Amino acid sequence: MNYDLSQEQQMLKDAAHRFLVKECPSTFVRQMAEEESGHNPELWKKMADLGWTGLIFPSEYEGSEASFLDLAVLLYEMGYVCLPGPFLATMEGGLTVLEAGNDFQKKDYLPKVASGEKLMTLAWTEQEGSYAIATRAEFQDTHYLLTGTKLFVPDAHLADTLICVARTKQDGAEEIGLFLVDGKALGVKIKVLPTLSGEKLCEVTFDQVHIPKENRLGRPGQVGAVLDKIFHMAAVAKCAEMCGGAQRVIELVMVQAKERVQFGHPIGSFQAVQHHCANILTFADTSRFMTFQAAWKISQGLDFEKEAAMCKAWVSESHRRLVALAHQVMGGMGFMEEHDLQLYFKRAKTAELAFGDADFHREQVAQKMGL
Amino acid sequence: MDFDFTKEEKELIAEVRAFIDKEATPELLAETRQLGLIYGGPEGRKFIKKFASHGWLTPNWPKEYGGLGTSEMVTYLIREEMAYSGLPCIFVGAHMAGPAILRIGSPEMKKEFLTPLAKGEIEFALGYTEPQAGSDLVAMKVRADDQGDHFLVNGQKTFNTHCHVADYHWLAARTDPEAPKHKGISMMIVDLKSPGITIRPLITMAGWRTNEVYYDNVKVPKKNLVGEINKGFYYMMSALDFERMAPPGVYRNLFDEIVHYAKSTQAGGKPLSQNPLIRQKLAQMAIELDVARLLYYQLAYILDKGSIPNYQSSMEKLFVTELSQHITETGMEVLGLYGLLKEGSEWTPLAGKVEHFHRWSVVETIYAGTSEIQRSIIAQRGLGLPRQ
Repeated sequence: MNYDLSQEQQMLKDAAHRFLVKECPSTFVRQMAEEESGHNPELWKKMADLGWTGLIFPSEYEGSEASFLDLAVLLYEMGYVCLPGPFLATMEGGLTVLEAGNDFQKKDYLPKVASGEKLMTLAWTEQEGSYAIATRAEFQDTHYLLTGTKLFVPDAHLADTLICVARTKQDGAEEIGLFLVDGKALGVKIKVLPTLSGEKLCEVTFDQVHIPKENRLGRPGQVGAVLDKIFHMAAVAKCAEMCGGAQRVIELVMVQAKERVQFGHPIGSFQAVQHHCANILTFADTSRFMTFQAAWKISQGLDFEKEAAMCKAWVSESHRRLVALAHQVMGGMGFMEEHDLQLYFKRAKTAELAFGDADFHREQVAQKMGL
Repeated sequence: MDFDFTKEEKELIAEVRAFIDKEATPELLAETRQLGLIYGGPEGRKFIKKFASHGWLTPNWPKEYGGLGTSEMVTYLIREEMAYSGLPCIFVGAHMAGPAILRIGSPEMKKEFLTPLAKGEIEFALGYTEPQAGSDLVAMKVRADDQGDHFLVNGQKTFNTHCHVADYHWLAARTDPEAPKHKGISMMIVDLKSPGITIRPLITMAGWRTNEVYYDNVKVPKKNLVGEINKGFYYMMSALDFERMAPPGVYRNLFDEIVHYAKSTQAGGKPLSQNPLIRQKLAQMAIELDVARLLYYQLAYILDKGSIPNYQSSMEKLFVTELSQHITETGMEVLGLYGLLKEGSEWTPLAGKVEHFHRWSVVETIYAGTSEIQRSIIAQRGLGLPRQ
């Protein structure tokens, strides 16, 4: 067992921390939440120049071959500042191409993702809010016709390419397929939905969208396993963001607990407040262990679905409770718009519900336990 | 980062497991359960001597004192395995007094106690708590008056759990009544057979025994003073960091049995494990057990790096003991009314373990510092919050 980051990971963490604290102050987070685009191309370019968009891709696709654990370290720092924008959505798209794509697709897409030139997203969730796929792709000799409405698609309005999960027929049998869809294709309609945290989740309507057959991603019969893997990786990625957010929340709370004086003492000397703070630290530490354990398993190429599901279930709830306790310590100041804590409160709920909440993942764990 | 054990560690654990499978007799398991997992009963002594002959009781101790000179991780792994198997896993000598003697004991004291401890021949009992000094340990009143070549000890201790089966008392007593409260306490080793000691049982709701101990003019030789005089409070605090390492194995084992029960018991024509609510509860416990595992081995990792865990020990103790209550509650929910049945009825599931541990789990969040004390420590040491 080794609970510490490697020297390289620590360097990545420190550099990312310095960069993001400078480039992504909370004023920027608020501004992006209000703007419909929620994206700053200049900042994106700087991040790409630092190699972040190519971090986890193999060198043959212009990436730097870092591990998923390294990515988790970076996402932790992104969560620390509540970084807005399409980073995680693009990575999910890129990872899906890496997992499911053929040589041509990988060479076509991945170098552009790695360089920061191409933004991607996964269009997955259906209108009923579930992953039971209803969107259809009908095969027509040389192409597919894609029809349906996807909801809660992250950053679809920015994406050059959407990967749409759709039901299709293969040799007469129903099947789930993945389709690379140009964001500007005829028949694609995208609407940014107003959300709790200002994160850009979109409604995407596909109306008889013409998809060339070479844009089908993944071999028949394999898509389910790829999606399962991407889903659990994305869940762990969200946990890494939450862990970084927890670190920032602790810092905000400690200022208050040590400096705010009531009844002649700093409030952090009162047992009720100390016990809230102890619970906050326990949630933060345990969330970090669970997240890095799952990320480590992914990096090692081991089976990771059970650990990922345990991680998402644990971190989703812990993080929500951690932020709620932070509000108790912060008192009235914490729920003012001008205070940063409310940004983390909103993000906590968004992250909790993304890629399956605790109930969802506990059921996954139950299945892996053979219940 | 690395969340796996080394090949050597895995091999060692396989060896320990094989030994346990062979040597853990029903008599030993029954005695251990009845004693509340402490060591000192006749069956336990027989077993531990054999077990310790491999160096497994104190693997991290130096070879000259009967250890193997291995990592803390190995110690933690072995202790977790013992806890999982229902064997004695709470050792005052090997895990609390012994490490303190190693660090601060005189050469004579090391010679006298360490090797017998490592061989499992003797056991200690903690002697901290008093009627007026529980969470507030500095309020202790038991006096040890300097009589030249010995101390004369008088007063009362309570909740000294091992005393009726142990050989020595790891006693904290006031040696300077004039000094500020935390500066007048010393640690000493007392032979529990010394004249003037009376041990009276206190029976817990879990069915096992703890004790109150009366000292009436008990003579303790000066050579049995541990470390420096009047520094006992600091030694006690640091020994508590060791005491708070709670292996989650006992409850991991109970959980595995509850899961097995849920899978193999039909209700309404299908297994209990198909009930969505039960699935949620069992999955939650599996998750909390994994969290506990990571907290537990983190302590070994910190020790192996050469540091002493502080708030992390409290966090682990807090988490594991609260988990024990979650698991017994979950067990009760899964078993329903059957959960009420004690050992002995043909209707009792899991040999009454759930009913037994349900009573037991109450003590978990109280001994070695209540959950409230642990939370205060986490806040003060882990986050630097001020004491009032």
